Amino acid sequence: MELELDLSFFYKTTILPECVLIFCLISILILDLILKIKDKNVFFFISLVSLLLSIFILIFQLKEEPVISFLGNFQADNFNKIFRIFIALCSILCIPLSIDFIKCTKLAITEFLIFLLTATIGGMFLCGANDLITIFVSLECLSLCSYLLSGYTKKDVRSNEAVMKYLLIGGTSSSILAYGFSWLYGLSGGEFQLQKIADGLVSTEMYNSFGSLLALVFIIVGIGFKLSLVPFHQWTPDVYEGSPTPVVAFLSVASKIAGLALLVRLFNIVFPFLPNQWHSLLEISAICSMILGNLVAITQTSMKRMLAYSSISQIGYLMIGLVTGNFDGYTSMIVYLLFYIFMNLGTFACIILFGLRTGTDNIRDYSGLILKDPLLTFSLALCLLSLGGIPPLSGFFGKLYLFWCAWKTGLYFLVFIGLFTSVISIYYYLKIIKLLITTENKEVTSYVQSYTVSSFSLLSKNSIEVSIIICVIASIFLGIFMNPIINILQINLHLNTFTNI
Amino acid sequence: MLEHILSLGAYLFCIGIFGLITSRNMVRALMCLELIFNAVNINLITFSNSFDTQQAKGEIFAIFIIAIAAAEAAIGLAIVLAIYRNKNSTRIDQFNLLKW
Repeated sequence: MELELDLSFFYKTTILPECVLIFCLISILILDLILKIKDKNVFFFISLVSLLLSIFILIFQLKEEPVISFLGNFQADNFNKIFRIFIALCSILCIPLSIDFIKCTKLAITEFLIFLLTATIGGMFLCGANDLITIFVSLECLSLCSYLLSGYTKKDVRSNEAVMKYLLIGGTSSSILAYGFSWLYGLSGGEFQLQKIADGLVSTEMYNSFGSLLALVFIIVGIGFKLSLVPFHQWTPDVYEGSPTPVVAFLSVASKIAGLALLVRLFNIVFPFLPNQWHSLLEISAICSMILGNLVAITQTSMKRMLAYSSISQIGYLMIGLVTGNFDGYTSMIVYLLFYIFMNLGTFACIILFGLRTGTDNIRDYSGLILKDPLLTFSLALCLLSLGGIPPLSGFFGKLYLFWCAWKTGLYFLVFIGLFTSVISIYYYLKIIKLLITTENKEVTSYVQSYTVSSFSLLSKNSIEVSIIICVIASIFLGIFMNPIINILQINLHLNTFTNI
Repeated sequence: MLEHILSLGAYLFCIGIFGLITSRNMVRALMCLELIFNAVNINLITFSNSFDTQQAKGEIFAIFIIAIAAAEAAIGLAIVLAIYRNKNSTRIDQFNLLKW
């Protein structure tokens, strides 16, 4: 009994960031229940502070040695910690986006925050999960909250349709994943922890059998649905178009970060014997994602749908780093992921602001926006150019490093496809920017005419604008400071034994 | 014996996927989803009985899956209610607002 008490003392610091968030969640619930607070901004403040606190704790924990705690169910090494920081960062950037949106649409604020924080906690646990039960439960914690969030505007028929599709497809994918897990459990002779599964697969001599290949395929299908890799991407545009925009902004980054962390850990630990199989499967899906995502994005007329296809193509680029499979590859993937958070959230923030002031998200209605609001036009253009990878912006440096690492390991075809599709993506991003800026026939659409500009003075900013400014500054200047970021990442990951496998 | 139960699990899994693809009612689709989760449970319990009689981790996983499937079904039924209030039907094929 004493031994367990001692161990539980050790456990506290490994999941302290998540504990802070859980405490914040409970305190928001209780405060909303017992105090009749009219000014709901307090809750936003509480959640932002706790997210910041958990990021700081994680940053200070980066120096610690990797530990496996909770009897092997949770692993905290630097690789996980970086991904957990990214997920908390996404929530911090997404919460300001949702404040004004919720106030305008007159939805309940507390529940929205609770769902968002629970999804964050689920994603953070997923990054560190070290056995199949924890992986499954935290994945479902993330996805169940995402379903609830994407159906949040329940009077809207489009949101209903989106959440229906999301629930059915998400449920199917997680059940397929669980089926793959059950095969892993059986083939390894009854083991659950990732490392023990790998050992068990060796000792039962099943690591090269048809059964383990089957489990691999089921797991790739299950995670591929969550990541919206190409053969499994059908739900993404529909869900993105129907759901409320701040939720889409959160889903488009947080679920991808968590899914990537899961993919890297699971495949490197459990399937080190089948590297060719899973590398080639992921390579095919990366190529398909880049080509199909970029080609279909050209034809879209809705801004959110266009961004959905663009995010499909971005996950293809991130997959390049994963397929590269060495230390540099993972570093480049993490760097690009960091840039992607800022670029994508910046774009979504601009769309939310425009959508709130005009009530449309059709690409056609954006024409001539520069006459009304030059600053919004400027930031949207910068974020889109950064997503496309135009040289001085950070998206360019991220892509360059990604392609360079892949080129060094000899993935020439993948790099070629990546370069070719980036050119296509620049075409459709530039098409939007042209629409924003050109005012040739001097007529603006009725939507832009109804656009009312708030005074852009330093004092009276709303929260979306703060978020836009942070994202735009990050997506312009982070690329210039890329060398220090890479150095920090390499120093921190170097202590870590996992990525050197 | 093992392979018979495993093929029962695979059969249930296939029925569930088939039902999800073809069914036109939201409630029926949710029932098919439960079927897939039950196929997973059958697999886990079989493996647990054969290989892992000491710790019975498979049964524990099965309990977790049952609980999560129940949560998912609850959310699904809530969505069905919300849809029914808006459109007076729960047929999946009548939802075609969002497309290409």
